Amino acid sequence: MHPLVRWFHQLGSPPYFDRFAARWAPWAYVLGLLVMAYGLWAALFQVPADYQQGDSFRILYIHVPSAWMSMFIFGLMAFYSAIALVWRIKLCEILAMACAPIGAAFTVITLATGSIWGKPMWGTWWDWDPRLTTELILLFLYLGIIGLYHAIDDRRQGARAAGLLAIVGVALLPVIRYSVVWWNSLHQGQTISVFGQSQMDASMLPPLFAMIVATKLWFVGSLLARARADNLRREAGKDWVVRMAQERAR
Amino acid sequence: MSYLGYVVAAYGVFFVVLLWDFVAPRIDIARQLRAAKLRAARTTAARPAPDATLSRTESE
Amino acid sequence: MMLQAARALLARDARLLWRRRGDALQPALFALLVVVLFALALGGEARALERVAAPVLWLAVLLAGLLALDTLFRGDAEDGSLEQWMLAPVPLSWLVLVRTFMHWASTALPLLIATPVLGELLHLPRGQLPVLMASLALGTPLLSLLGAVVAALTVGMRRSGILVALLALPLYVPVLVFGAGAVAVAAQGLDATAPLLLLGAGLILALVLAPLAAAAAIRIALS
Repeated sequence: MHPLVRWFHQLGSPPYFDRFAARWAPWAYVLGLLVMAYGLWAALFQVPADYQQGDSFRILYIHVPSAWMSMFIFGLMAFYSAIALVWRIKLCEILAMACAPIGAAFTVITLATGSIWGKPMWGTWWDWDPRLTTELILLFLYLGIIGLYHAIDDRRQGARAAGLLAIVGVALLPVIRYSVVWWNSLHQGQTISVFGQSQMDASMLPPLFAMIVATKLWFVGSLLARARADNLRREAGKDWVVRMAQERAR
Repeated sequence: MSYLGYVVAAYGVFFVVLLWDFVAPRIDIARQLRAAKLRAARTTAARPAPDATLSRTESE
Repeated sequence: MMLQAARALLARDARLLWRRRGDALQPALFALLVVVLFALALGGEARALERVAAPVLWLAVLLAGLLALDTLFRGDAEDGSLEQWMLAPVPLSWLVLVRTFMHWASTALPLLIATPVLGELLHLPRGQLPVLMASLALGTPLLSLLGAVVAALTVGMRRSGILVALLALPLYVPVLVFGAGAVAVAAQGLDATAPLLLLGAGLILALVLAPLAAAAAIRIALS
């Protein structure tokens, strides 16, 4: 058997996955933090202040990567869910459900930083800007998936139901986005989108790339940690869990 | 206009949320392992030594 | 075979509905409550009300439909009929579609009939009424179909109230936006065909896809 295929099969074994996640999560966290350290330092101290927005534009280096992560994680969650529903692979169920709280966290960061950035720009804490509105609806989708997963006693059934919701959500997300953009043009006229400047000077890009990479690495670490926790909860009562609990100091 | 407060607030939110994201699974894992240890201790305590109850020849 | 099953299910649902025909008026009553509360909260002045009349009516219909969602599968889940559905020789999605149609006919149709009356309470400008009725006629079946997916995901849960609302909200947003937006467009004197056509397109897609998703959800819930 091809070693990669064999490795995939091995990951499906709960004790093996537990060891794998316990081993690699710290590395992902540390690597992510290192890249983040550079990214944040450069965002705060190296990049010159924006001509129009002054220092507040530094919030972009948190806001944009978080927004992209909130979308990316949702798509990944739907992908894992699709595999879990079609092939009934337990590990994919666990990974899909572990994505949800992380995605929700990034969505909260996006909304909060968007709101904080908007205050000096628009003079108000909230604006029904299409992007923020879509982000808010995305948060409700995340919360719905997390709520549905925890409302069902049987973990496998809960993961499959929440996974189906994730797939429906990912299919509807473009529709929701389009409808909100249309609604916005209808009622608010042309909003000057503060976050729309895609022509960023080249000198301003490296911290953005760094933060994008850093948040992805952080996500991997967090995903492994949360998947490990869910794995342990599902396997509670099995011998290997007991043995491991007694071996480890914590 | 001083943007310091806003930048601090935004970066602060970022740190706090990521901190929660880091701590929550660790607490969860620790709780699972502790529960497993306690469960194991309960079952070994509840299960008495085999010879004490099953053998009738001694007490009879 | 499929038509037979549909006829049988419709007949059964109609008979059950007839025995509790008072229940059919509950969504309309709830919509009336919402309208009255809005009018009271806004001060009752005609000029203030007529500007928000159409969106408030849309909301009243949407919320009433959300409340009625509970009864979509509840009865059959409790007495085991849902499991019989899964074993039936006809596709589960077909039965879901028929049931959703009946549910829409019994909960949303009274609402549609009541809308002109409720519109009068809110001083809805006469010119907006046709577009409002059209948007509701296209929107309420769409809401019922999307609601069926949510109801199927939460079937069998005892205390699912707020969860249903939370799950339904993101799915309902495009329908609300285009529905209420159509009336807003008409109120501005422009042509409301575009959002209405989008609602129609969404309805056709939902007619095909929503029962499939709901059937998958029922299978998961009863697995």
